[in-house]
Amino acid sequence: MIRTFFPRASQIFLILFFAMGLAACDINAVPRYDEETKAAWSEVLNQYQRRADLVPNLVETVAGFARQEKETLTAVVEARSKATQMQLPPDILNNPEAFRQFQQNQAALGGALARLLVVVEKYPELKSNQNFLSLQSQLEGTENRITVARRDYILSVQKYNTELRTIPGRWVAGVLYPEAEVKQTFDIAEQAKEAPKVKF
Amino acid sequence: MARYIRVWGAYIWAIRSLALMLCAIHIVAGQPGFAAEPKFPQPSSRVVDEAALLSAPAKERITGWLEAFERASKRQVVVVTVKDLQGYPIEDFGYRLGRAWGIGEKGRNTGAILLVAPKERTVRIEVGYGLEGELTDAISRAIIEQNILPAFKDGNYEQGIVNGTAAILKVLGWKGDTPGVMRDAPQSAQELPPIPLLIFIILFVIFRFGRSGFFGGRHGRGVWGSRSRGGFSGGGGSFGGGGATGRW
Repeated sequence: MIRTFFPRASQIFLILFFAMGLAACDINAVPRYDEETKAAWSEVLNQYQRRADLVPNLVETVAGFARQEKETLTAVVEARSKATQMQLPPDILNNPEAFRQFQQNQAALGGALARLLVVVEKYPELKSNQNFLSLQSQLEGTENRITVARRDYILSVQKYNTELRTIPGRWVAGVLYPEAEVKQTFDIAEQAKEAPKVKF
Repeated sequence: MARYIRVWGAYIWAIRSLALMLCAIHIVAGQPGFAAEPKFPQPSSRVVDEAALLSAPAKERITGWLEAFERASKRQVVVVTVKDLQGYPIEDFGYRLGRAWGIGEKGRNTGAILLVAPKERTVRIEVGYGLEGELTDAISRAIIEQNILPAFKDGNYEQGIVNGTAAILKVLGWKGDTPGVMRDAPQSAQELPPIPLLIFIILFVIFRFGRSGFFGGRHGRGVWGSRSRGGFSGGGGSFGGGGATGRW
């Protein structure tokens, strides 16, 4: 009687302790954070796309007033096509090479746009054009949204990578999510890059 | 059989200590520290005038508008003036403040903030995700330049804030001092639940709260998301950096 009871009790204990351990370790943390990073990444792409969509209109408006700034305008157009034509591999978040390429292209577009807005300062007519003012404020707003989206992404990746690399999460991932990989994140290059200051 | 038990015993012991270890480590490791947040003022009311730019009547007037507006539209607009931005850019401070307070309805993110930092001489209209389509960047900028900055440049902060708030509310569909009149109220404000559902909810409320009292220990919202009338709390909305900034 005791012999048959004993293993059963131990099995119950086993299950109980195993369950407690798992509950403490939050076995769903890895996929949950994974989804969060994906959502944050979509927002980053979304905002970059929004910026790219503003460019043709902006270029056209500026060209109407400042045709002689051809060089700056061409630079913007080229940077845009480079940024939008890049094929994003599906594993971009785990692929340092592609990720850096993406980041560089977007930073190049950001830089070209910043130069364009500096050049524009020479044209008072343009600066009082309603269409231009509206586009400029949209561009500013979008740059700001990009900053926020990037920061949200960085934070979500930090959380995800920390979960994956620190101990309980690392064990859980090793057993349950062997395919989970540390993700790429932005370095602060673009954030640190302020729009050039205008001197009068 | 005895060997069987001994093996199991050892196994259990190993698992148990492992589980305990996991728990202990989990508690010790905790959450890693994430980026520092600025210190925000307390969300004591819809108008938080930390920089003391508003007179009492003006503050009361704006608060009244904002309350009426929220009742009519479920959208939350707040006015915040701060002593300083603690070294953060106003764009950064603004959206974090919005998220920290949770301005706007949860899920719909229908909140907006008029943020004034007189020390840095900047003003910002911070727009929640859900209002970006109406209070666009371009419109926010127009409000700042046409309604706010002229008064601010004359040093008349109160006038600028009053004008700016009125302009924001107008863009968001408010018609004036008469509460409940909306140009086009969002659908959720008009639709009532169907009658069987209402009966069910009433019965539910009676049985659920009948003994302990409806407002007893429960905090937060009532049964279908109505907010408390007098006080103020954010609804859980989020912000993504929409809006515009002005300097003077």
